[in-house]
Amino acid sequence: MTAVIAAEQLTKWYGPRLAVDDVSLTVGPGEIVGLLGPNGSGKTTILRILTGYLQPSAGTARIAGLDVVDDSLAARRHVGYVPEDAPLYAGMGVREFLVFMGRLKGLTATGVTAAVDAAMERLGLGPMRSVLIGRLSRGYRQRVAIAQALLGNPELLILDEPTNGLDPRQIIEMRELIRSLGGERTILVTSHILGEIERVADRVAILLGGRLLAVHALRASGQGQRLRVCVRGDEEGVRACLSRVPGVTTVGAQPVAGMSPPTYVVEAEGPSVAEAVAGAVVAAGFGLLTMEPMPVDLEALFLRLTGDRPGASA
Amino acid sequence: MRNFLTLLSKEEKAVFSSPIAYAIIAVYLLLMGFTFTLMLFLNRTAELVRVFFQAAILFLLIVPVVTMRLLAEERRSGTLELLLTSPVREIEIVLAKFVASLTLVALMLLLTASDAVVLGMYAEPDWGPIYSGFLGLVLLGATLAALGLVISGLTSNQIVAAVVAMGVGILLWMIDSIGHLLPDPFDTIVTSLSLVAHFTPFATGALFLSDLGFFLTVILACLFLSVRTLARR
Repeated sequence: MTAVIAAEQLTKWYGPRLAVDDVSLTVGPGEIVGLLGPNGSGKTTILRILTGYLQPSAGTARIAGLDVVDDSLAARRHVGYVPEDAPLYAGMGVREFLVFMGRLKGLTATGVTAAVDAAMERLGLGPMRSVLIGRLSRGYRQRVAIAQALLGNPELLILDEPTNGLDPRQIIEMRELIRSLGGERTILVTSHILGEIERVADRVAILLGGRLLAVHALRASGQGQRLRVCVRGDEEGVRACLSRVPGVTTVGAQPVAGMSPPTYVVEAEGPSVAEAVAGAVVAAGFGLLTMEPMPVDLEALFLRLTGDRPGASA
Repeated sequence: MRNFLTLLSKEEKAVFSSPIAYAIIAVYLLLMGFTFTLMLFLNRTAELVRVFFQAAILFLLIVPVVTMRLLAEERRSGTLELLLTSPVREIEIVLAKFVASLTLVALMLLLTASDAVVLGMYAEPDWGPIYSGFLGLVLLGATLAALGLVISGLTSNQIVAAVVAMGVGILLWMIDSIGHLLPDPFDTIVTSLSLVAHFTPFATGALFLSDLGFFLTVILACLFLSVRTLARR
């Protein structure tokens, strides 16, 4: 199966300044990938190259097998793009704008009506259909921008900082929306906030100073996983019991010292370790109080990767 | 072609939903009416030569105001990114904006045509110079619109776009005056760049293919440069 995004050694100079430095990234169908990095780390530049707005100084990028420079027009048809801060025509009505964008994306006069209605329905824009975009709140503007990106049903959605400037309730709604859109299509989303990426993405690519530092799986299927297990019983015994479970590699210290009853962090390889851990704890006669999967500690990973580099605090 | 029509209808709406268009038309008509009346009652001749020159001078000042927002505003608000990442060619965007600004110029000229109608009702004017004068104004307006479009594409500030386009337009209008001061090959080159030198024959009823060619060349060159400013990223 062709990768939806295949970027190879992308490099972009703005005059003498190197904005993107030798970045290679492959994203498969249906994946939600997050680009994480501080402001000015090259996230937006990468998105602009992928969407054909900027040309790379070196390297190539393909969207659904189409080169973004040589086959730009065809490649752009596969992408729905929401630029940072959702730029929209303030003087247009919501529906008018969506019809305009739909027509530009090649929808027919009859097709555009159905597509626009579906997108407005999906994003709850029905009551705003004839309101001028300039009068909309930040949250609604973001929704209009996403509705626009969905027109023509592109297989790739590219969202630049979609939760920027939203209030907490809108941020939660936006996360849910992104996850729900992800079921159907590939999504590349950027953020400078760890928590946002952690909550929506399957994989995260960490950028700093234009360089790709690491690509890390957040929702690994069948690979390693971490469990937070809270067990009542003698600590030594519990540790021994946990480390005997097949697949378990390390039993970590309790995250909160002195917390009672103690919590253990179990790192394991292979699928369904949770079942085995639960079985072993109960069989050994300890009280299993709670057990929950722990997401990858992205913050620690990020700090480790960026901590000793110049520009990390920029 | 379909993209062009979609973009054109958006641009036309943008031009005619802005108060700028109506302010421009109103001021233009006021000043033109003033000139026409003055010429009619002072000179008592059934011709529009002075009216054409008055319109040309006003175009130098007014057309940059029509074109200033075309690309600068899209750049400032970020919508240019939306447009350029859609499956649309740069030339379609440029042509739509050019034609939309030309509509406003054409509308102004159409309203000025009432002067010719008045002359026709009360006198027997020589129609040749009147037709050629209007053709000259269309070409001048289109040239200034294309020039304004390129300049609007180079900045994200509308005022800068307007002021620079006025400066370039006015300089090109009168650049032949400096021709006498320059040595041999340059005097002809500079003189042949002058807008007034190529406009005057039209206004006085002398049609030359070379003047037509000059205006069309400048228009095409400006449209090409506009496409390049959008494509060079």
